[in-house]
Order: sequence, then C-alpha cells, then structure tokens
Amino acid sequence: MDWLEKISITCFAASYAVVFGFELVRLYFSKSSVRSTIKIAFTVAGLFAHTIFLYHHTSVHFDRSGVWLGSWFGWSLAAAWLLTIAYLWLALRKFNSTIGVFLLPVVLALIAWGSYVGSETHFSAAREKSIWGMVHGIALLIGSTIVALGFVFGVMYLIQARRLKTKKLSQSGSFRLPSLEWLRNSAEWSLTISAGFLAVGLLSGVAMNLTGQNELSRFIPWSDPVILSSGILFSWLLVASLTSVFYKPARHGRKVAMLVSASFLFLVLELGFVWFMGHGNDTTKQKDTGQPVAVSTRSAEADA
Amino acid sequence: MNIQILGCSHDTADASVREKIAFSAAEVPGFLSAFYDAFPQAEALLLSTCNRTELYTLGTHPDLLPSRAEMTALFAAQKSIATKELEQSLFHHRDDAAIKHLFTVSSSLDSMVVGESQILSQVKQAYELAVEMRSSTPLIHQTFDAAIRVARRVSNETDIHKNRVSVPSIAINVLAKQIFERLDNKQILVLGAGEMAEETLTYLKAEAANNITVANRTLEKAHQLAEQFGGKTIPWSNILTEIAASDLVISTTGAAQPIVTLADFKSIRDAKKPKPLFILDLAIPRDFESSIDTADDVYLYSLDDLQAECERSLKNRKSQWPKALSIVEQETVAFFRDLRRRASGSTIASLKKQANEIRDDELKRLLNRLESASDKDKKQIEIAFNRLVNKILHPPLESIREESDTDQSGHSGGLLEAMKQLFKLE
Repeated sequence: MDWLEKISITCFAASYAVVFGFELVRLYFSKSSVRSTIKIAFTVAGLFAHTIFLYHHTSVHFDRSGVWLGSWFGWSLAAAWLLTIAYLWLALRKFNSTIGVFLLPVVLALIAWGSYVGSETHFSAAREKSIWGMVHGIALLIGSTIVALGFVFGVMYLIQARRLKTKKLSQSGSFRLPSLEWLRNSAEWSLTISAGFLAVGLLSGVAMNLTGQNELSRFIPWSDPVILSSGILFSWLLVASLTSVFYKPARHGRKVAMLVSASFLFLVLELGFVWFMGHGNDTTKQKDTGQPVAVSTRSAEADA
Repeated sequence: MNIQILGCSHDTADASVREKIAFSAAEVPGFLSAFYDAFPQAEALLLSTCNRTELYTLGTHPDLLPSRAEMTALFAAQKSIATKELEQSLFHHRDDAAIKHLFTVSSSLDSMVVGESQILSQVKQAYELAVEMRSSTPLIHQTFDAAIRVARRVSNETDIHKNRVSVPSIAINVLAKQIFERLDNKQILVLGAGEMAEETLTYLKAEAANNITVANRTLEKAHQLAEQFGGKTIPWSNILTEIAASDLVISTTGAAQPIVTLADFKSIRDAKKPKPLFILDLAIPRDFESSIDTADDVYLYSLDDLQAECERSLKNRKSQWPKALSIVEQETVAFFRDLRRRASGSTIASLKKQANEIRDDELKRLLNRLESASDKDKKQIEIAFNRLVNKILHPPLESIREESDTDQSGHSGGLLEAMKQLFKLE
C-alpha cells in the first residue's frame, strides 16, 4: 500500500517532539485540561504512525529476507516504540506527573540514534528469523527497554527525594512527580522484570547457538566481549533484583535508584561493545541491503 | 477607646521565635494576671496559636495602656527571653491599624492557609479566657464581638472559605501524597489529641487510612479521639517504639520542649529495616528536633516548611481577596464610626443636661420674681428659654454629629474633647 510508505520517521518524531514541548510548557504554566488532551492526542497520533511504520518495515524486510530488528535502526525504533507505549500508559495513569520530561528525551534520542546509524547490522536475516533468534532479539529488546525505564524511574526518585528533603516542592511550580513509594516500587519492579527478560534473551542466545544448522557452529563463544558483558549485565540484574527483594537494607529507595542507574550504565556499556566490536559475526558492521545476507562463517552462526 | 497589639506571626517570625513566646491555654491566665498586676486599668487579651502570639491591650485613654517596651518586657519576663531577641520579630499596631489587623486575623485572611477554619475558634477561645479573668471587660466585648461578626460576614459574603483548606489538609493531601502512594496500608501515629490532631485525622480518614494509633499524655483524651476515628491508643511512654514502626507521624502536642531528640531518634531507627518516614510536626514549640531531618529517608516537615505550600493555596484564592479585604476595611471604618457615635452621644447628652439644668435654674429664678405674670406669659417665657438653649446648642451639637458620622477611621474626636474641656463636662 502506497500510503504506508508515505509515513516517515518525521511524522512520529515530530509528534513526540510536540508532546515533549507540551511537557516542558507545563513546567512553567498551570495545569490545563485542553493542553493535556492535545498532548495525549499527539502521543496517540505519533504512536499510531510509529506502529504503522514499524509494521510496514518489518513486513518489507521479512518479504525481502532482510534484517530489521537486528539492525540498529529497527532495534532503536522498536525500543522507542515500547517506551512511548510506556509513556502513554504512565501519562494516563499519572495524569498530574511530568514523567514525559524524563521519558520522551530517551524516546527521541533512540529515534535520532536509529536514524543516524541507519540499517547497519551485525546479524544475518536467517538468524533473525529463526525461532530462537526472534526470542533472543525480542527478549533482549524488551529487557533493555525496561532497564531504560527503570533508569528513568530511578532518576525521578532521586529528584523527588531531593525536592522533599530540601522542601522545595513549591518552588518547582507545576513540576510534579509520582510519589516516592510508587517510584521506588516501579524501579524495583523494573530490576526484576528486566533481569527476567535478559535471562530469557541470554538462554535463547545459547539455544540459538547450540541448535545452529552447521554442526561446526554449535558452540558458544564465551570470549566474545558482548556475550561477556551480556552475562555480566544479566548477573548484575539478577544479583541486584534478588538483593532488593530479599535483603531489606537494599530496599532503601535511594539504593534501588542507584541499582537501576548502575544497570542502565551496564546496558549502555554493552550496547557500546555491540556497536564498536560487533556481535554475532567476525566482521564488524555491515549495511543491510534488504537482500538475503549469506553469512557462512562459523563465528557468524555463533552469536548469543 | 484605645487599642494596641504587640505580637508576632508567621509573617514576621519563624517557628524558632514563635515557639519561644507561644502560650498554652493553661499559661494564658498566668500571663494575664501578671499584666493586670502591672496595668490594672487596661483590658488585655492574649491570642496564642501555632502561627501567632498577639497581645491586645485596650483602654479608655491612651495613658492607661502599656507602652511597647513594657509589653515586650512582659513577654520577655514571662518566657525568660532577652528583650533584644524578641524585638526584631514583634510588630506593633495601634487603633485603626490594630482593629484592621484583628478583623483580618479573625476572618482568616492573615492565616498561613487563608480561609482556614481554626482561627475563628481560637479567637473565640482567647476571648472567653480574657473575659473569665475579669468581672468587667466592656472594651474587649465591644471589640471582639465585632471581630467575630466581621469574620462571619467575610465567610458569608465571599467564597474565600469555599473548598477551604487548612494546614493539616495541605500536609495530608499535598505532602503525604508526594511520599506515599496510598495511606490505607500505612502505619500512622498521631501525637496529641487536640483540635489539630482531630482535624488531621479527618483528612487521614478521607484518604482511607485505617491503621491509626493515637498517643497523648492524658490517655483518656487519646481514647476518645481514637474511638472517634477507629484507631487504637498507646501509653505515652511507648511513643519512641511506635515511631520506629510508623510510616507517618503527626505531632500536635503542646509540649514546651521537643519530645523526640536526635539521640532518641537514632536509638530507635532500625538501619536494617529502612523505610521512608514522614514526620509532620504541626506543633509550636516543635515536638521533633529539627536535626532529625538529616536522617536518611526521613522527611520532617514543620509548620514553617508547609508555608510555601500554603502560599500556593493562597494564590488560588486571590480572586476573593479584594472583596474580603473591602469588607474588613468597611467594618474597620464602621467600628470607629460606631465608637465615635457612642462617645459623642454621651457628650451631647451631658451637654444638654448641663444646659437644661442652667435653663431650669434661671427660669425658676425669673418666674419667682414675676409672680404677677399670667400663666400664659410664664409659658411664653419658658418656651423662649427652651428655644434659646436649643439655638445656642444646635451648631456645636451638629458639628459633633458631623464629626462622628465621617468615615475617617481612627481616633480623631478632637471636637468632642474640645467640647468637654470648654463646658467642663465629665
């Protein structure tokens, strides 16, 4: 369908930028139901365009056997899409809070990053379309998004705790954040859930390597820095979430906020490894041409 | 009538000063006795709330009232504070400014939370205490009856009390919600069983709080309050243990010293079970040492800390301000006009009485000499004397009436004083 192709990144990125603008305006002007309604309308419109865009490009790449979610472009846009859904849900649930000021910059940064990097990828289309490959990619995508979300909650917790401690609530005008209790619980929740998704991602990566078509490729390259850092990230999240659940002193709100912030740093480090060192093949970055990519080297079959 | 006020409020002094010259209801009679010992011919009323301590002194003559320095010295002596320390935080109003201030206070326009309901009942309590101290307090009756009437007028004729909020409502509905997502699963401790505690509990119940504990030095009062709001009570000696287990502590006692020090708090705070603790110290003097706020995850808010939030609510009511202030101004003018009318009325009556006595004496003397005059002539002479007195008195009496009917507030009455001196009236 022609109209699907007419939806560009600009459509939804501009909508999100407008919503971000509304969130900023809200910091300086009193609450307005008209403004809030327009903001939600722009978010829904942007999300609709974003969904169509992702759907269309996923279909096209599947038809052409090209890499989509495995590319930086697709991955960033999908992560931004998930975060926008989270934003919409939070904006409706926490109507008075200025969550968008923290969440929307992450969404816009992901879109900008995806657009800048383009379709560079490390993965073969064949691997992306294998069951384990899909589970691996989607679980890591959701896990990473939740880590980012947890980071936003953690930052908001620290700011809210500081405002309450310094008794400066009124000086911040219409700047409202959710309660400390809600932010701490959400950050804690994000630690646990993200650890779960990263575990699924890691295990599905192992399964993907062990069930490769080529017998020679059935091994796990533990020395791969990305796999190593993924393992460290997962271990960190596991320890952090178990600690925060079972060890009461670690449930201190500020400690939870620090844990989610550290998790986000680990995630950024891991993505940095993927970006600079490659993951899943022995070459570095390659451009997805939209054509089937034949990757037959042993190490290319051995990503996790 | 002469009136003056010396005091401090949340506008002029912070909590650390206010708590030093705060008087509990039990302390007020002692203070007023000391006042009457020194100034027996004046009338006095002491209004002491969390946000203000104000001494109203009234007298029929300015010389009967104490000076500012004397009143400051009285405060300083009663509370054992250096006069110098007090001076900077005290304000002083006289006559029309004092009446305007009283009307503004009783109408809740000078409250930390404009439109709050507590202040009028506090003014009434202070009024009752002042009246109990003396058999005759005509000036206090006249002034404070007017203050209560003005407060009712402002309440009836403006929306300033509509959706009114108070310090407890802001503390619970604004601040507690910044910390806690919900209150129904929180352990809440209320220290004190007075009016502030009762009002706070009303808002807590509205937020579905159901795990409430009340502690008070008089256990019976705590029982009454706890029963009213479906809570439980604990002995006063257990408060430290209960604070350690609580999520939200609201303190409203009238204790003269902090009831929880930093050392006490450190001893009960369990580092192994960290959880946010929100302490609302609504008492003056404060019940919790301010240094407790330095503890991790502890949010200690005193009345002064709530002021900024209260000012935000004040902003929302600004549209009603001009109307309310205009009522206060009208009533201030009317109060003094009424005072002048009463004063001129008695002077006019005295003058008329004096003139009539002279008339009657002279008429009697003349008629005794004119024994041969007919009754008709005697009647004409009597009428002539009456007309003479009335014509002489008419211009000065008219001038006095005009002066008392002017809308200039304040205590002018120069003509009245002149008249009293000229005719040697009592």
